[in-house]
Amino acid sequence: MLKYIVQRLFSLLPILLVVAIVVFFLAHLTPGDPVTVLLGDEASEETKAELRKELGFDLPLYTQFILWFKGAILGDLGDSYFLKMPVTQAFFEYLGPTLSLAIISQIIAIIVALVLGVLAAKKRGTFMDQAVMGISLFGISVPSFLVGLFLILIFSVQLQWLPVAGYRPLSDGLGEHLRYLILPAIALGMMQAALIARMTRSSMLDVMKTNYIKTAKSKGLHPNKITFKHALRSAFIPILTVIGESFGTLITGAAVVETVFNIPGIGQLIVNSIERRDFPVIQGTVLMITVTYVLLNLVIDLLYGVVDPRVRLNQRK
Amino acid sequence: MKKRTKLISVLLLSALLFLAACGNNEASKSGSDSKEATINKDAELNIAYPTNLQTLDPHLTTNQSTRDVARQIFEQLLTLNENYEVVPMLAESYKVSDDGLTYTFKLRQGVKFHNGEEMKADDVVASMEKWMKTSTQGKANLSGAQFVEVDPYTVELHIDKPSLIVPFVLADAAPFPAIVPKESVEAAGDTGLTEYIGTGPFKLEEWKVDQHIHLTRFDEYVAREDESSGLGGKKEALVKDVYFRIVTDESTRVSGVTTGQYDIAFEVPFDSADQIESTDGVTNVFDEGGIATYVFNKKSGPFSDLKLREAFNTALNAEEAMIAAYSDDRFYTLDSGLALPNQVNWHSDAAKEKYNIGDIEKAKKLVEESSYNGEEIVILATKDYTDQYNLAVVAQQVLESIGIKAKLDVYDWPTVQERRVDPNNFDMFAMTFAVRPTIHQNPFLDSKAEYPGWTNSEKIDQLLVDIKSASSFEDAKPLIDELQTEVWNYLPVAKVGNIQDLVAVSDDVKGYKNLIGPILWNVSKSE
Repeated sequence: MLKYIVQRLFSLLPILLVVAIVVFFLAHLTPGDPVTVLLGDEASEETKAELRKELGFDLPLYTQFILWFKGAILGDLGDSYFLKMPVTQAFFEYLGPTLSLAIISQIIAIIVALVLGVLAAKKRGTFMDQAVMGISLFGISVPSFLVGLFLILIFSVQLQWLPVAGYRPLSDGLGEHLRYLILPAIALGMMQAALIARMTRSSMLDVMKTNYIKTAKSKGLHPNKITFKHALRSAFIPILTVIGESFGTLITGAAVVETVFNIPGIGQLIVNSIERRDFPVIQGTVLMITVTYVLLNLVIDLLYGVVDPRVRLNQRK
Repeated sequence: MKKRTKLISVLLLSALLFLAACGNNEASKSGSDSKEATINKDAELNIAYPTNLQTLDPHLTTNQSTRDVARQIFEQLLTLNENYEVVPMLAESYKVSDDGLTYTFKLRQGVKFHNGEEMKADDVVASMEKWMKTSTQGKANLSGAQFVEVDPYTVELHIDKPSLIVPFVLADAAPFPAIVPKESVEAAGDTGLTEYIGTGPFKLEEWKVDQHIHLTRFDEYVAREDESSGLGGKKEALVKDVYFRIVTDESTRVSGVTTGQYDIAFEVPFDSADQIESTDGVTNVFDEGGIATYVFNKKSGPFSDLKLREAFNTALNAEEAMIAAYSDDRFYTLDSGLALPNQVNWHSDAAKEKYNIGDIEKAKKLVEESSYNGEEIVILATKDYTDQYNLAVVAQQVLESIGIKAKLDVYDWPTVQERRVDPNNFDMFAMTFAVRPTIHQNPFLDSKAEYPGWTNSEKIDQLLVDIKSASSFEDAKPLIDELQTEVWNYLPVAKVGNIQDLVAVSDDVKGYKNLIGPILWNVSKSE
C-alpha cells in the first residue's frame, strides 16, 4: 500500500516537468506582456524597456525558465507582478472560495443525483425514469453560466431573496457564507448532478440484475434495505469515479461561474492573470492544479478499496 | 409510502422557510430605505466597477481603473474645473515668471496626509520627481524640468522652454502627479508605490486585489474654501465608506444595481439602458467618455498614401458608424473637434466640412487617384472592447463599399497592443481616446510620441510647438484652429464622434458627477 503511494507520487515528477515546460513557454510566447498592462496604453517604449529590464525580461527565455523551475522545485513559485504577494500564497488564498463552492455544489449534486438516479433505476421504464433522464439531459446540455444567469434573474432580481453576486468568507458566519454561495453552487452542481445521476442509474440497473440481489429479494428483505445497503454500495465504484473526476472539474473549471457570480476563486485568478499576463501566477497556478489533479486521482483510487473490499490494493498482486 | 411523503414535505418546507427567511431580511431593509430620505453620513457607497486594477500608483499608468480609484485618495498641485480650466488644489496659488521659465507654487498650509503628517515642500518635490520618471506627458512637455524646495511651503518648477500647457500637464488626469509623502516615494519598488497615502477626502482602508477596494472618509481632511467645480474647489466626503467592488460580468453589474446591491454601476452595456430606465429607483447617467477614431498606419502600407486616407474619410458616414458601435444617439454626439465642445480653451470646429461626408462616389474617385493596388487592408481589432470591435466592422464595410479589400485581424487586447507596435502588422485600427486636459496629450499627433500609426507631419509638430509657445489662449486660438484644419488635411486619424459612458446610479445617491472619471466626494446617500 505504502509502496504504491510512493510510486504514484514519483510518477508525478515527469508530469510536472512536462506541464512546467508547456505552460512556461505558452505563457511567454503569447503576445502581450505585463509591462504594457501595468503602464497603460500610452506609455513610451523607453519607460517600458526600463521596467522590462528591472523585471528580468531581457534575459534569454531559457535562462528565465531555468531560474523559475529551480525555484519551483524548491517550493518558490515566484511573486505575482500585480497581487504583491508570492504565488503560493495567492493560490491558497483563492483556493478557499473555490473549495467552498466546489464542496457545496458537490454535496448538492450528490444528494440530488443519488436520489434521482436510484429512483430512475427502481422505476425503470416508467414516466418517472424518463423524466429523470430528461432532466439530466437538460442538465448536461445547458451551460452553467446560463443556469447561473437564470437563477440570478429569478431568485435575486425578481424574488430578491438572495444577493446577485459576491462572496463572503466563512469568517462572516456560515449563513452569510451560504447565502452568497448557494446560487453559484446550484449553477455549478447541475451538470455534475446530471452526470452522477446517469451513472447511478445505469450502475444500479446492472447491480439489480445480479443474483445476490435476487437472493436478497427472495429472502424477503425490505426493498429499501436492498436498494441502499446492498445494491447502492456495490454500484458505487463507477459512481465514485464520476464524482472524483467531477470534483476535479469543479475546482478547476469553475471560472465561468466564478465570473458570473463574482467569486474570487482559482478560476477567476487564472482568467485575470492571463488577461494581465501575470506569468508567475499563470505558471504557478497551473502547476498547483496539476498536482491537485494527480493527488485527487490517487485519493479516489485508494477510496475504491474502502467502498468495495473486493478491490483492496494488496490483493492485486 | 406515507412515511416517505412526510419526509419530502418536511424537507420542502424547511427549504422554503430558509428562503423565506433570506427574503424577509431584504424586504425589511428596503422598507426602511424608502420611509425617510435624509442624508446618512454613515452610509456605505457600493460601486460595481468593471475592471481589475493593476496598480494603485497614479504616477505609473494611464489605465482608467487606476485613475478612477486613485483620484479619490490622492490630490495634485493643480487640477481641472468643470470647464477643463486649470485651478489650484494642493497649491494655494501659483505664479509664472515673465519669461515663462519658473513656476512658483505656494502650498496650502495644514494639509494632512492620511498618516497624520503635514504635507510639505519636500514631499512635493519627491512626488513630482517620481511622476516625471514614468509620465510620458511630463517628459515630453516639461523639458529639463526641475522641482526645487524654496521653503517648507514653497516649491519652484524650472523648465528650459516656456509652454502654455505646463499647468495642464500638471493637472493631467492619468498618469496624474499625485502628492505622496517623501517616505512613500523612497519605499517604492520597480512596480510602483507600495503604500498608498494621499491627502484626499477618502483614505485607503483595504485593497483586496480582484475583489474590492475599500475607502473610508478621512476625518482630518482639510477642504478648500472655493466653490466646488469639476475636480477643483471644496471637497467633502459625505459617505463613510466607499467600496469599489470589481464585477467584471456586465449583466451581473446591471442586475446588482437594479436590485439595490450596488448604488452605482459603471460601464453599463448600452442594451441595458432601457431596462435601467424602466426600473424604479435607478437612473441612467451619461459620462463624457472621450473621442472615437480610426487610426491609420502612415508609415507603411496603402494608408501611407494620403489620397487613400482621404478616400476612407470621404466614404465614412460618421453617424452610421456611431450607431453601429453605440446603438443610439443617447450614447454619442457628432462633432469634428479633437477636444470636447466644453473644453472651452481647446475646442475648434475648423474644417468641419471634412467630417462626416459619406460620399461613396467621390471616395471611389480618390481611390483611383491613389496608389492603391488591390492589396488587402488589415484592420486590427479586439473583442475585448465591443464598441471598438463594431467600429472595426464598420471600417471593413466602408472599405469594401469603395472597392478596397479588407479583413479583420482579431486578438485579445494585450496581443493587439503588442502587434500594433510593428507597422507591418496592420493598416488601421479603431480606437477611443479618453478626454485629456490638452490636445497635445492626444498621442497620435506628435511625431515624437511614436504612437502606433506613426504620424509624421512637420506642420502638425510645428503647430503643437507654436501653440505651446503662445502667451495666452487668445493668441493660441488661431493656431488651434489651424492645427484642427491640418489634422483634417493630413488625417493622422479619422475622427468618428464623441462617446458617452453609461453609468447607472441609484436614486438614493445624490450629487454624482464626472470629469474624466467619476467624482465621489460631495456625493451623498439618503437612507
